Amino acid sequence: MRIIKAILIFYQKLILPTLVLSGLLGLIGFAIAGEFSLKTIGISYIFLGLLFHYFIYEIRNSNEYYFYYNLGLSRLSLWIITFVLSLVIGLIFIII
Amino acid sequence: MSKLHVDSVIKNFDTKQVLTDVFISCQKGEIIGLLGRNGTGKSTLLKIIFGSISADRKFVKIGDKISTGLFDNRKLIKYLPQDNFLPNHVKIKTVIELFCDKKDAELIKKNGLIMPMLNKKSKQLSGGERRLSEIFLIIYSNSKYTLIDEPFNGVAPVYKDDIKDLIKKQSIDKGFIITDHDYRNILDIATRILIIHDGGTKEVKSKNELIDWGYIPETA
Repeated sequence: MRIIKAILIFYQKLILPTLVLSGLLGLIGFAIAGEFSLKTIGISYIFLGLLFHYFIYEIRNSNEYYFYYNLGLSRLSLWIITFVLSLVIGLIFIII
Repeated sequence: MSKLHVDSVIKNFDTKQVLTDVFISCQKGEIIGLLGRNGTGKSTLLKIIFGSISADRKFVKIGDKISTGLFDNRKLIKYLPQDNFLPNHVKIKTVIELFCDKKDAELIKKNGLIMPMLNKKSKQLSGGERRLSEIFLIIYSNSKYTLIDEPFNGVAPVYKDDIKDLIKKQSIDKGFIITDHDYRNILDIATRILIIHDGGTKEVKSKNELIDWGYIPETA
């Protein structure tokens, strides 16, 4: 349970900026192509999730990793979590 | 009680060998003060024991269990790094509940120093308040061994005695390895002092030996 809570805290920081920027890219796609596509948002979300992980945790707040290390989550496992959750959320946008 | 046994630690940074065959052991009730000049590898050693950085060679055992990584260590070893590590978007009380057992969480929440911070997020605290909450969190956290890197750095002198008392009280149930350049405070609470010199650990029996090892000047 603690691990799940830790993962939620970890991903909470990524979800908002990733959603906002993916939505903006969706709107830009709409302005260019004249058609609103959730697929664009979904694909953007998958890549932007990883990109925001890099900027937020590797560049800006690298010491926060110690918070998650103390709860048993390694850097590699956090990268895998970002990838899997971003993929799942991105696929939801692509499928619906 | 499961003893912490650290042996054969070797760590190189490029061509520089920082740690050469280090040995440390710690038991419940012990507070080991780890001293050494800047760049001798104190923090590196703590991180290797904790499992957050790799070593060229290491052997870490807690009781009968050989430590293989952070996931294995999550209920055995906690580590307080030198710099602030709490996520800035989470309330202090949430973090306390994540790190501590129910009983210890209630104890911290009732502490006069921590109580005013409970409903604040880490980003709403000053650097000193953040450090104080991290120290309490790690000392009370659910673990058998606690590794603390520079607990007295950035903390107001008035709180240093509280921190020392807290470590002493908690050492009844767990072992501590602490490093800090504020060696007087370390000497006050440590049950054993080790100094890192030339990549290895040497046991120090008196303050005079710290002078002999070149850690403090003769005038200190």
